[in-house]
Amino acid sequence: MSTTGRDQKTQSSLGNIVRRPETGSFVGLVFVFTFFAILGGPIFVGAPGWSSWLNIAAEVGIVALPIGLLMIAGELDISVGSVIPASSMTAAIVSGHFGLAAPIGILGGLGVGLLVGFINGYLVAKTKIPSLIITIGTMFAVMGLTLGFAVLLVGSTSVSLVADPLTKKLLGTFVGGMFNVSMFWWAGFVAIIFYLLHISPIGNWIFALGGDRESARNAGIPTANLTIGLYMLSGFAAAFVGILQLLTYTSAQVASGQPFIFNSIMCVVIGGVLLTGGAGSVVGIVIGTATFSIVNQGIFFSGLDPNMGSIFIGVLLLAAVLSNDGFRALTIKLSTKKS
Amino acid sequence: MSVIGSFLRRPEAASAISLVGIIAFYVLIGGVNLGTLFGAASWVNFAANLGIVAIPVGILMIGGYIDISIGAMIPAGSMAIAIISGYYGLPIWVGMVGALAMGAVVGLVNGILSVRTTVPSLIITLATLVVMQGVVLAGAKLLTGNASVSLTSPVWAKTMFGGLIGSSHQTIIFWWLAFTAITVFVIQTKPVGNWIFAMGGDMVSARNAGIATNKLTISLFVLSGMSATFVGMCSAIQFNSAQVSGGMGYIFNAIVSVVVGGTLLTGGYGSILGIFIGVLTFSIVSQGIYFTQIDRNWSNLIIGVTLLLAVAMNESFRKFALSPPKKRPGAQRERQKA
Amino acid sequence: MNFKTTLTTALAALVISTGAFAQDIAVIAGSVEDAFMDKIKKGVDDATHMVEANGGTVQYLRTQNYENFGPDLVTLINQAVAQGVDGIAIPVWVPDAQIPALQAAASQGIKIMQYNSGLPVKDDIGALNYFGSDEYAAGFGGGKYLAEKGAKHILCHIQVPGAINLEERCRGVTDGAAEAGAKVTVLNTPPNLDGDVTGTAEALKAEFIGDSSIDAMVSCADFGAAAGANAVEQTGANVMVAAFDFSPASLERISAGTQTMAIDQQPYLQGFLATSMLFANLKFGTEISTDPVLTGPAIIDASNVEAVKAGAALGAR
Repeated sequence: MSTTGRDQKTQSSLGNIVRRPETGSFVGLVFVFTFFAILGGPIFVGAPGWSSWLNIAAEVGIVALPIGLLMIAGELDISVGSVIPASSMTAAIVSGHFGLAAPIGILGGLGVGLLVGFINGYLVAKTKIPSLIITIGTMFAVMGLTLGFAVLLVGSTSVSLVADPLTKKLLGTFVGGMFNVSMFWWAGFVAIIFYLLHISPIGNWIFALGGDRESARNAGIPTANLTIGLYMLSGFAAAFVGILQLLTYTSAQVASGQPFIFNSIMCVVIGGVLLTGGAGSVVGIVIGTATFSIVNQGIFFSGLDPNMGSIFIGVLLLAAVLSNDGFRALTIKLSTKKS
Repeated sequence: MSVIGSFLRRPEAASAISLVGIIAFYVLIGGVNLGTLFGAASWVNFAANLGIVAIPVGILMIGGYIDISIGAMIPAGSMAIAIISGYYGLPIWVGMVGALAMGAVVGLVNGILSVRTTVPSLIITLATLVVMQGVVLAGAKLLTGNASVSLTSPVWAKTMFGGLIGSSHQTIIFWWLAFTAITVFVIQTKPVGNWIFAMGGDMVSARNAGIATNKLTISLFVLSGMSATFVGMCSAIQFNSAQVSGGMGYIFNAIVSVVVGGTLLTGGYGSILGIFIGVLTFSIVSQGIYFTQIDRNWSNLIIGVTLLLAVAMNESFRKFALSPPKKRPGAQRERQKA
Repeated sequence: MNFKTTLTTALAALVISTGAFAQDIAVIAGSVEDAFMDKIKKGVDDATHMVEANGGTVQYLRTQNYENFGPDLVTLINQAVAQGVDGIAIPVWVPDAQIPALQAAASQGIKIMQYNSGLPVKDDIGALNYFGSDEYAAGFGGGKYLAEKGAKHILCHIQVPGAINLEERCRGVTDGAAEAGAKVTVLNTPPNLDGDVTGTAEALKAEFIGDSSIDAMVSCADFGAAAGANAVEQTGANVMVAAFDFSPASLERISAGTQTMAIDQQPYLQGFLATSMLFANLKFGTEISTDPVLTGPAIIDASNVEAVKAGAALGAR
């Protein structure tokens, strides 16, 4: 397993580049971009097309990064689907309905994400229950709490928030007309998580955790705290996306996060991260997110039936996992040959 | 004492306690009238539709696999029969065969990819889920020019697959009960039952023991695909129309039911009776809330909490079930496959 | 079996124990997550005071979501029947699924009152009356309004392909616009974008850029207006944004001038009238000679938005 981890980074030969899991993802990205560039023409290759898929990629990308870390560590987080609306609803109720300053509502929303993340992480670390089940449970619970409290406090499932200009400018505006400020936040998340996974010692811990939890613990890695930290990061990122949506569209709805559950997993997998843990890279996740978003948005520029988009994504997903599977087999073959 | 002990050792013991617990909660806190609740058809109809999907999903889980493509196969089944027999006007049985064949083909793809590659089945079936969603939507639009297709079925088909008994209970309830009975019988008396448990416990040693794990896995995925399209097909016959969306809710509902029913997500442990009870529990939680004074808005909260409590309880029951008679060294391995 | 039960409302136990003297009705509505249904609920709640003052009860039943909508609605109808209600107030959204169930209910002597949706099938279910908007007329009014404001090419956005009432809305928009000399293009976005504002905004942006002759859009969903306003902000295109129904955020946009108008069908009146008139029919034998009773379309634009905001603050609009 460790052969596809980061220890490989130090070496560099053509064989290693071909063997890296994100190489396949990158080929997929180039292919998809070329395909839609041909169909979509200059509009897709120009600012409208770029901004279109980048705006989508920023939102799903912020969620996909910590989901990717969790998957590298061998865990899943389904609850992001209800943390997104829970956070935007909390902020909208605190600042929109009760009229407190926008930053307070935003802190409240982010706090909800951290809290849900902590509960997920604590349960995953302290029990033997698979994380898929735990986070399905918290997803349902948070969904119920959001709906129940929204109706109880506001009497409606749609709450609006008009924020002060500075907050709006930082979190919910468009740069150069079309580019949502969210993509700069995404870039920030990419930088931080790249540092975490590939530069700081925590990265090695995460790979070790996904490779074999038992030996990771024996090696002195604080596995419980690490798990809790990763889930809090994932809750925070989902809550942050909820806040970005709220400030861009000035309105919070109870049901709006469900598509993120599978979309974020798809981005991560297209980016070459194995669900089985122990391998993956931030570059791969970013490539996967870009590929996913280009297909999703390119379809509207291409003149094809928009419903064809999901066929495209499904096939791409299969191609990604199967080629990774092939790459992995090749890797194992090459490394056994070498030794 | 030994009777209680052996009951508590069974996989469905904890789930039976969850079921009793949730009914007690609704009676004590929600003020439910038990006679009204048990007489009502709504949650039984809900349970029947969910149960037919949950059984193969649960068996797959016992075998160490997961199938989330069912979310697209339910609308696919209803769309297939509606297009074949409704839009093109072919005999209803052709539509039925078409719907079931569609489930079988997708199940075959899921199964073959699961055994031929090392890719987790969650990801494989996520891919087929997305592909089939697109196929159903684009296909319906392409063939009929519409996203909703209507279907008129002959009386016999309507009676068998989409009828009402006492003007409220759907005939699919019988299919659910029959399907449950047959699978319980097969799993408990035929060798294939042991094979599935062996496979979920440890795939490699199961294969070494001479079990045809590949064939078995593929068949289980085919069964799961066909069950999902069967539910979709019955729904189209029942409601005289097929719609392209819908079905996604079944994914988590089925997983929750199976897990509440005592099945281990990582494989090797569970029972059909437990899944049956899990489906009942889930249906009463989500549909029975109408009969309580609890606000409907809280139902998802109750589902989430029930799931977490039930799983925690199953966990401790399983430890109890596995420990006293004989210490099983394999129990420690469970975690690693998660 | 529980004394608290009998003291409060809406329970089957009560229905059975008090028998034929009370008039018990069920009001069935859409998803608990749908804010539009909260406005209907406000009307139902206000009517419930009148019903209870006269010894009846009201149950308000809603589906959890729109995932499995036809079967869920039938489930709710059967549930109301099982609980022995005397009348059901319900919209017809999925005729193929709902009509047989409602006919079965009617055959047991339950009176049906229709509201919000499904006017064309009113006779099939034998409804007493209909309180709601005529989708076609609402679309017609909206299309004409935009064309008279100077639109030449209107985009009509459908968020759930195949939904009959939405197609009816866009058919109305097409005819209304044609009368004032404008043409209409219908855009169906895939169902996985339903409720996804970012995805819909980017899809609309692609349309605005791809066809620069589009100078107005009307969405069948309120979130479509948020998406449309966003797409206009991004592209700088000169497009009037309008939508069927509205949320508090749309009222803010109308005030700010980023949305031209919203086509209202006054859900409060639908819930209030369907509930109170069904009960009055059961209890007092009253009938309204106007049939159907149209609660819409009412156009909300800059001229009347402040008055609507006041009603919205009270949860009624």
